[in-house]
Amino acid sequence: MDTAPNRQIQRRDPATVMRLSRLGSLHQCRLSFMRILTRRMAHENWSFSRPVFRIDAAGVGYAVYTAQGPDRAYSLVAFAHDLPPEMRSDRVIATAWDATFTLFDGIPTEDDINRLSQNVPLQEAGRVSECEISVSRANRSVRLWAHVVDALASGQQPDRAEIDKVGYLMRTTAVYGSGKLGAADREQIADRPEMQVPFQAEMLSVYLTRVFVRDLVQHMARAKGGEGAVDLDPELARRMGIGNSTGLGMAPYIVNHPVLFNNWVMAREEAIARVRGVATASPDAAAQFRQMLRRSEVSLGQWRSEHPIQLAKLGDLRRDMEVLSRHVAGDDLLNDQPWDRLMRWAEGALSEEGQELIASLILEPYPDLVDGLASCMADGNPGAFRIDGAMPISELRALIAASYAWAFDLDWSAPENCARAWYVSEEKLEPRLGERFDEPIAEYEQPLAPARDAAAAHAALADWDGARPVAEFLLAHPEHRHTVRRAQMSRVAPYGEIHDNTISASVLPINMLRAKLAFFGAIHFDPRSDRWVRICMYAGAPYPEDLSPETADDWVYPEVPA
Amino acid sequence: MSFSLNEIEATAKRATRGAGYPWGLAEEAAKATRWLAAHDLDACAELAALLTRIDGVPLADLSPFPMGTTWVAPGGTLCPLASGAALSDRAAELSDAGFRLEQVVRPALLVPFAALIAQQNRRPVTLRWQGGGAVTDGTALDLCGTALDLAPLVEVTPGGQIDVATPIRSRAQPAPEAWATLNRFAHRTYAPATEESRLKGAGAGLSDND
Repeated sequence: MDTAPNRQIQRRDPATVMRLSRLGSLHQCRLSFMRILTRRMAHENWSFSRPVFRIDAAGVGYAVYTAQGPDRAYSLVAFAHDLPPEMRSDRVIATAWDATFTLFDGIPTEDDINRLSQNVPLQEAGRVSECEISVSRANRSVRLWAHVVDALASGQQPDRAEIDKVGYLMRTTAVYGSGKLGAADREQIADRPEMQVPFQAEMLSVYLTRVFVRDLVQHMARAKGGEGAVDLDPELARRMGIGNSTGLGMAPYIVNHPVLFNNWVMAREEAIARVRGVATASPDAAAQFRQMLRRSEVSLGQWRSEHPIQLAKLGDLRRDMEVLSRHVAGDDLLNDQPWDRLMRWAEGALSEEGQELIASLILEPYPDLVDGLASCMADGNPGAFRIDGAMPISELRALIAASYAWAFDLDWSAPENCARAWYVSEEKLEPRLGERFDEPIAEYEQPLAPARDAAAAHAALADWDGARPVAEFLLAHPEHRHTVRRAQMSRVAPYGEIHDNTISASVLPINMLRAKLAFFGAIHFDPRSDRWVRICMYAGAPYPEDLSPETADDWVYPEVPA
Repeated sequence: MSFSLNEIEATAKRATRGAGYPWGLAEEAAKATRWLAAHDLDACAELAALLTRIDGVPLADLSPFPMGTTWVAPGGTLCPLASGAALSDRAAELSDAGFRLEQVVRPALLVPFAALIAQQNRRPVTLRWQGGGAVTDGTALDLCGTALDLAPLVEVTPGGQIDVATPIRSRAQPAPEAWATLNRFAHRTYAPATEESRLKGAGAGLSDND
């Protein structure tokens, strides 16, 4: 084997990575939060049980699913409801759901369940306590649910094509964590090894929700079909994930948490740079990449959307796959920094969808280079919040320019550049995006246009002596404090700022949603509008009884049919 | 009722913004309120009293005009949020002479900013006002005296010793009236629902019964 030394490769430039169109083309990878969780649970040999399942023939009742790790247990408490169709909405403003959940910190007593039964079904209108870590709800995919119940009740397996058309039996419509609705603060669990990586509690909640949904559909089929009913074929069950229906609420999150979001992007960029630096790949590594590429093609074949934006992107990605398959057929991927060569080739040959797919796929053969970066993805730097008032104004100007020089020359009063405004509605505090010039919303605008604000701060700084301290500027201009804070945070968070206009007439919030959901590990993004997206989580993942180190990681890539 | 500290922070941020502060100061007010709540103070009552008192007053009238080491407000009373932020911005300038702040509303709200200075300078900071005061090393807090609506003079000096630290709390039980006041201010940041915004604003016009 060649032993040429690995070459240092720089991480990609934030000006390239942090464009909205590229963030809206991200794919899951080894550092996705779902895969980090399943790897950990398998390697630590977590055990799973269902101590309670009290659900009647109408599908109403509750169940408890407990995941036992090395030091602590976590329990999903699930409530099943009989929801009239006219009440089924994925929006924040909904008031009832097919199922509601909480992730309990430990194993709940009867008293806990009684307390939760009076609150969790109400979601935002209820209260939970520091014993609960997340609160969530889900709605059925009406057609697939009916098809699967009817088939199983009549002793048949459901149609595989019908399952693949939707991909899930229920979709979550919100998963609240971090102290929302009275639940435990992130700080309460952040020091636990199994919760150190972001969103592990939420991902565990969804993992257990998938088990509950499988059990519930079988229960309903038995209630309907009696003795003649059959259980779901495990292979079909494994194909099904849990859907998620996500609106605008996620978009502000990545703007409001620049250090946290930076840490996700930077971990992935560092992983990409490390793998690009590999001088020679082993035949095994090259073979593994090729295998994951073929399996990605299978996954792409199952990716459906009716939205014109995504249809065009899927068309690009299918063409990318053909070009890519031809390209790698003619390259042994062994020598001369094969992954760096591939990435550089992709920059000129593939769309952003294809480029980002490659960037994620080249990480697959290298767990030793990649997986440890998971521990860098949390925000452990509360000190970044404090403004350094002693910084010279010249340095502040340079920091603002590094992220936002492109925004300085935009005409921010031109309607096309500030057409939108992000606001919060008094209706259940639903985040919304409106038309600044058509709706009375400007006075309620949320600070989600950092580029516009950076340009304004930079203009206000123009007449100030560069040697003076930032503190003097801020005393005269407190309206720029949030911009100054962000600019100073960029010293530790170079990937914390989106290099695009988040209030332009043409902004697509789905790009922001996809970026976050890709880090969760979601696949099959299916926009319902420019600001709403459905996805699939855990499709192909092993259920608890099949979870092992062998099955814990590659499940996201479907097997190539024989 | 028991609230998470995240809820305290989120509500404090919206309330401060609703009272007319710029977003950056609202963020700092939120962190400050959370910090006080975590140190066993009725932080929401402090913030609610401040916002009620200064509602409608221009921020410039309440902001410090630093003349060397003595700070006064053009309008007569100093806002602890604007003053605290300005103090934190000048952490490196805090000498043994200290800073003197005149006519400070709700001086307890200065304490979290003193903690930021202590963290930055790696040295405790002491606040003294008539009938009370505080020492913090950035993490722990030693507080004496009762809550004050207006302090004629607050002295900010480096150093000090923590004798009895306040308990650290992971939850808060704000007084109901203070919580209601904060929510009234927060409500000013929410856009009234219109049929158009309901239909278009979240972008989910399709049926979910599929």
